[in-house]
Amino acid sequence: MKLNEKSVAYYATCNSPPDKTGFLFKKGERNTAYHRRWFILKGNMLFYFEERESREPIGVIVLEGCTVELCESESEEFAFAVKFDCVKARVYKMAAENQPAMESWVKALSRASFDYMRLVVKELERQLEEVQEEARSSQAKNKLKKHQPQVQGATSSQPTTFSLQNAEITGPSQEGVSSRENGVSWSKPTSLPNGVSEGCVWEGDCCGKGDGVKPPTVPPRRKPSGGSPESPVSPGTGSFSKLHDWYGQEVAELRTEWLQSQ
Amino acid sequence: MRFNEKELVFLSRQPSERAAELGMKGPKKGDVVKRRVVKLIVNFLFYFRIDEDEPIGALLLEQCRVEREDDQVFSIVFLDEAERKYLFECDSQEQCVEWIDAIVKASYESMRKNLIYYRTEIHRLTGKDPLEQYGISDETRFQVNSGLPPADT
Repeated sequence: MKLNEKSVAYYATCNSPPDKTGFLFKKGERNTAYHRRWFILKGNMLFYFEERESREPIGVIVLEGCTVELCESESEEFAFAVKFDCVKARVYKMAAENQPAMESWVKALSRASFDYMRLVVKELERQLEEVQEEARSSQAKNKLKKHQPQVQGATSSQPTTFSLQNAEITGPSQEGVSSRENGVSWSKPTSLPNGVSEGCVWEGDCCGKGDGVKPPTVPPRRKPSGGSPESPVSPGTGSFSKLHDWYGQEVAELRTEWLQSQ
Repeated sequence: MRFNEKELVFLSRQPSERAAELGMKGPKKGDVVKRRVVKLIVNFLFYFRIDEDEPIGALLLEQCRVEREDDQVFSIVFLDEAERKYLFECDSQEQCVEWIDAIVKASYESMRKNLIYYRTEIHRLTGKDPLEQYGISDETRFQVNSGLPPADT
């Protein structure tokens, strides 16, 4: 089957931000030794390179419909596998360099599918509609006035972040509330007769209020260890099945909620 | 570049967002319009010969641009090779517009933008980050600042 390989390889190395990068050991297909490769996760595509500086990926694993499992390996600690549902599917065995890296990768890969992303988006879309409905019907109780009206930002030159990025991820990282002028702008994608760009820029809408859309203050950062009730798994967990079940459960819950909202 | 072809073929058999028989013309000089069954599944566009189960090929719909070429014709170009156009001929203007809309929304990048928009708005209106409950508020792909350059059209 053909694939637009050149453009896919371009996607790997273009300046769209990766979701995760790092070194992993990957078990070869014929040569069953583990080889150290540089991995870049973008969306539902997991690219791997011979070296970090390599210009082109050796290959890509499309992560749609896969499950990620921790696994025992005779030769490698911190091993996990990417498995697919189809007949005679290959199992991609990988190993991280330490426990936190392994957990971080397993978490990222389990949630990398387009389907999962779509569920989350649909859920948030539904929540926003609910919230907007409530806001419309009870204007007096609206607790909107947390922010000052700001000058409408121009293009996204210096946008604000929500929180610190994962340490393994390349790219700019910031912490805490930025006091810089809001530079984020966005609009909903619309189809134009003379062409639509994939890289649509969002422009502030704000329910027609006219002031610039300001990314909110940074929500409190989740504790990395100990976890909240939603996260029974901490980096120190030794229970592999618990980890695995929890990731699966989360997606199942989202799916159920989404189905109920249809 | 290696890719997991078997799994991609398996994906092409899953329920699609949109599927239709369209006229399709490849980007090479000398390519002619051929009737193909075109299926949009997640961020891939698969194309099949009529009545065949195995796709001839797949196009990953990231870093591409969709344009209206004519009343019933749209094109897809990939940003790394913008001179090469894939052309698709529809049966009606309506179908053409629907396909363009569907393909624009089919990229992971466009979903991420939607998600960031919804997240920001919900937080603005409620004071709560809706992603907290899923334990994914820290993920890079959901951050407002992920180093995305302004879009060039």
